[in-house]
Amino acid sequence: MATLDILHFPDPRLRNKAKPVTQVDDRVRRLIDDMFETMYQAPGIGLAAIQVNTSLRVVTIDISEEKDQPLALVNPEILERDGVEEMSEGCLSVPGIYEKVKRADHIRFRALDRNGEPFEQEAEGLLAVCVQHEIDHLDGKLFVDHLSSLKRQRIRKKLEKEARQAAPAPAGTVI
Amino acid sequence: MSQPPDPRLIAIRNLAAVLDGRSLDAVLPASTAALPEQQRTLARELSYGLCRWYRQLHAVVAARLKKPLRSKDRDIHLLMLLGVYQLMHTRVPPHAAVSTAVDLTHQLGRAWAGKLVNGVLRAVQRELANEHSALHAQLAGDLSIRYAQPKWFVRAMHKAWPARDEAIRAALQQRAPMTLRLNMRRQQRAGYLAGLARQGIAAEGLASVPDAVVLGEPRPVAKLPGFAEGLVSVQDAGAQLAARLLDVRKGQRILDACAAPGGKTGHILELADDLDVTAMDVDEARLSRVQENLERLGLPATLYAGDAAQPPRAWREQGFDRILVDAPCSATGVMRRHPDVRLLRRHEDIAALAARQARILDALWACLRPAGKLLYATCSLMPQENEQQMHQFLQRQPDARSIELPDTWGHDREVGRQTLPGEMTMDGFYYALLEKVDG
Repeated sequence: MATLDILHFPDPRLRNKAKPVTQVDDRVRRLIDDMFETMYQAPGIGLAAIQVNTSLRVVTIDISEEKDQPLALVNPEILERDGVEEMSEGCLSVPGIYEKVKRADHIRFRALDRNGEPFEQEAEGLLAVCVQHEIDHLDGKLFVDHLSSLKRQRIRKKLEKEARQAAPAPAGTVI
Repeated sequence: MSQPPDPRLIAIRNLAAVLDGRSLDAVLPASTAALPEQQRTLARELSYGLCRWYRQLHAVVAARLKKPLRSKDRDIHLLMLLGVYQLMHTRVPPHAAVSTAVDLTHQLGRAWAGKLVNGVLRAVQRELANEHSALHAQLAGDLSIRYAQPKWFVRAMHKAWPARDEAIRAALQQRAPMTLRLNMRRQQRAGYLAGLARQGIAAEGLASVPDAVVLGEPRPVAKLPGFAEGLVSVQDAGAQLAARLLDVRKGQRILDACAAPGGKTGHILELADDLDVTAMDVDEARLSRVQENLERLGLPATLYAGDAAQPPRAWREQGFDRILVDAPCSATGVMRRHPDVRLLRRHEDIAALAARQARILDALWACLRPAGKLLYATCSLMPQENEQQMHQFLQRQPDARSIELPDTWGHDREVGRQTLPGEMTMDGFYYALLEKVDG
């Protein structure tokens, strides 16, 4: 396994639309393993292949506290959504920024697992939000797209400045 | 998606939002939604605690910094307040409070500040242990620092309640208990208490408030037996006095003029049959909370979005038998439940609030039928909003008469009665009941 580099907003590659996986083979399984390693190390609770510069519809998620409930989604699709949940979200591609986003608080989705087997699942709360956040990535969308353009500009400037300074310490102020 | 931030960082972000003028209710839910339950509780508790003690924490830190931090280092300053809060007001071991704050400077990408944070917190820790220290003198010398309450408020309470102001200040620094209101149509209190006991939930009934059950410790509403089914609501015991004072009878036409979030509206509807209740609020978004609450209780009311100072003409013609005016107020009586009030409220607000209350009272008095009753309520401790407001109202309205209220709770005022925070578990409420007589 290997950890992968995560692209940062406003990198244009984050705007690509990912292609469906045609066959879940060892290459895809290696990608999934590397994505989990990258995600756990970040630390994050969800990662889309687009974020590690791979244009495939692959997502890894683990929202558990113990980091022992990995969930890999290949070609995920949301079938139903209802309710509204407002949650402060952050993104590994937008480091240090947390902003409120409104999403459905209950969804049903389907995907293939790491063996290529199809499955359907319901999710609510944090898991529902996380699945929606990651599927957005596969469509070239970021959580900052849900914010006002003014806020998005501010975040873009901040991250561009930090990238220029390329500080050795993890950048990002919370306030 | 990234891992939600440390609950401590969420708490200082929430404090920053309150200092910028937002209310804790507006920022807290979304800020903690992604956290697992235990961490969510911690983030909540710290957000509340930081607001509750802000003035004190700020003064303590300011006196121990050689020069003030730059405004761009606000996060470091807030982190010090968090450390001092944990040292002074929690059971977190001192060394852990200090080292956590230092660790968080790294998470913020401000490792340079670790030494500074460490120095200030160690100084506070040392001084706390020595009762002759400058810190203890600082606390003893200034009530607004010792109780973390605004100077104007400390002065106002001393004037209004010279024998009780110390107790008021102390009570407002406590955490409020969680109190339930039982829907008496659907169950008896003894039965509900027995049910809680079987589940190992400590609770007791309040003697002078028939619908109230006070929980030993707060718990999520989703875990309360009967909450989803509308058997119980969450409401402070002092707030529960309102609906029963209004003396509602079967078939009456009733206006709840400043209804959101609908706690008292629901209580009114629980107390009698065939009521024609209109719940009004100026804030349309908050009116949807009334809707949710009533749906949960399964009780109907007409919702109306509008300014209580400008009721529709038809209301004057048709008239109401009962009107509840739970007026917009300084909320100084509920500071322990809404600790951000002490940071958001300014002394200048009081006169403006009193003027608005007077306009609302005059406008709604015209909508009251002859022999009808109007209950004026605030969650304020300020006489200008309470007995002085009523005194002036009675002088303006010759057809208004004040009705004496039961003396089983609170304190008698020139007009009406006042509950004080902490007494009988209650928040600070003011009530006056007025009847329309032949002018």
